[in-house]
Amino acid sequence: MAVIDANPAALDQQYELRRRRYVKMGLIWLAVIAFVAWCVNGTIIEDTDWSRIGGRSGVLSSIGRYLSLDLGLLPELLIPTLETFMMASVGTVLGCFLSLPVAWLGAANVTPSKTILYPLGRFLMVLSRSVHEIVWALLFVSAVGLGALPGILAIAMRSVGFISKISAEAIENIDTKPVEAIRAVGGSQFQVMYYGILPQIYPVVLATVIFEWDINIRRSAVMGLVGAGGLGLLFFRQMNSFNYGGVTMVILAILFLIIIGEIISHYLRKAVI
Amino acid sequence: MAVLTVEGLKVRYSAKGPEILKGIDFEVQDDDFLAIIGPSGAGKSTLIRCVNRLVEPSDGKIVLLGEDVCALRPRALRNLRRNVGMIFQEFNLINRMSVMDNVLSGRLGYTGNMRSLFRAFPQDDIQLALYYLDRVGLSDHIDKRADELSGGQRQRVGIARALMQRPKLLLLDEPTSALDPKISREVMALIRDIALELKVPALCNIHDVQLAKEFCNRIIGLQDGYKKFDGATEQLRDADLDDIYAMEVL
Repeated sequence: MAVIDANPAALDQQYELRRRRYVKMGLIWLAVIAFVAWCVNGTIIEDTDWSRIGGRSGVLSSIGRYLSLDLGLLPELLIPTLETFMMASVGTVLGCFLSLPVAWLGAANVTPSKTILYPLGRFLMVLSRSVHEIVWALLFVSAVGLGALPGILAIAMRSVGFISKISAEAIENIDTKPVEAIRAVGGSQFQVMYYGILPQIYPVVLATVIFEWDINIRRSAVMGLVGAGGLGLLFFRQMNSFNYGGVTMVILAILFLIIIGEIISHYLRKAVI
Repeated sequence: MAVLTVEGLKVRYSAKGPEILKGIDFEVQDDDFLAIIGPSGAGKSTLIRCVNRLVEPSDGKIVLLGEDVCALRPRALRNLRRNVGMIFQEFNLINRMSVMDNVLSGRLGYTGNMRSLFRAFPQDDIQLALYYLDRVGLSDHIDKRADELSGGQRQRVGIARALMQRPKLLLLDEPTSALDPKISREVMALIRDIALELKVPALCNIHDVQLAKEFCNRIIGLQDGYKKFDGATEQLRDADLDDIYAMEVL
């Protein structure tokens, strides 16, 4: 019972259009499913040691071992937790200073040389971010030995990319009018940057640095896995001595530290913006 | 005596770009309050920026305070700029700094990098800033942030900053076109009174002919990069204005 008489040609066109769309969507879904299946086959089905898992109860009891607490570890936690916090903080500050020249080189409107130094600045930004913090830590452990220092260096190197990239973008987006004014009063290159550019970018840069510090607390918690100090090292030792309660204690300490960092950075960010 | 002499000034922004100024000659005498009028796109802003080389001229000669501006090395250029106060259309203030710091920034040309890092301006500068802030009527707003002020107040900060340089020439780039008519007149009167008081000549871009006639003793008319008129304000006839603004109808 047709309530409305549609133009038959338009109707046919609609049916045809919709039919094609169903086919297209079906093909896309098929492709997605095939891709996931291929990945699962490669990584899980072929790559897992199924005989070691040994049934549902085995998995559960393995995980269950971590549900105990080794309270005796408490006094030993204090120093590494503090060390993790310090590593993150010093690493962020160092990263900040290293970011200054990189941002300067990598901002198209202030770079001293567009042909050589600008690409160099951009390359350093990518390099810093594309190498994982654990890889940076491995490099520095082999260079300066075990302890917190390689961790700090690794965190600094890893921080440069993000801080300098955001800063460079902020520099590229500044309003050039105050810059013109400082040039007109006879200001030096430094004064132009310090009075004309910096006041415009510092809220963005500061917010970025706080964010990066927050992330760096997480990063420094795992630095110890490769021998670069902090809670990670303690975690590694508990794991090696099969002290599952101790492992849980370390994880809780990391959680505690991250929550503290989250709270501090929340209030810092509010104060800045 | 001529403070500024410009001869055959030509400017193009890029090698293949259009010529913005096509050979301009004029002089500014030490008692001039000289207006440059003309339609938008005539080259007024470019012309005024050549005087302190915020824009690089491509040909011609500019002699300012006895120095050949185009021949100056960076350091000497900065020293010359210290003598030239500039007031901008959109004020060009540092928004996140206080009114006081903005005014003090007029002294940067005389301040070393170390001092400017800590904004540690000498006592004398601070006294001078307080004096000029009072002179432009902003005594009640000294510690406010620049972006908290109204347009007229912001331009007064710009005026005080230019005066801090103890300028020997004032460059005014459309100082009133971001302001409403009443405030425009007040600001122009303030600038003219101070210029007379300090005996500083001024070169003023202005598109409002009425204001130019009211406040300036001489007028230069610019059209499409050429000088169309140059004479005392009384000599400017309606026919001259028609000529200067003829292009705008198109």
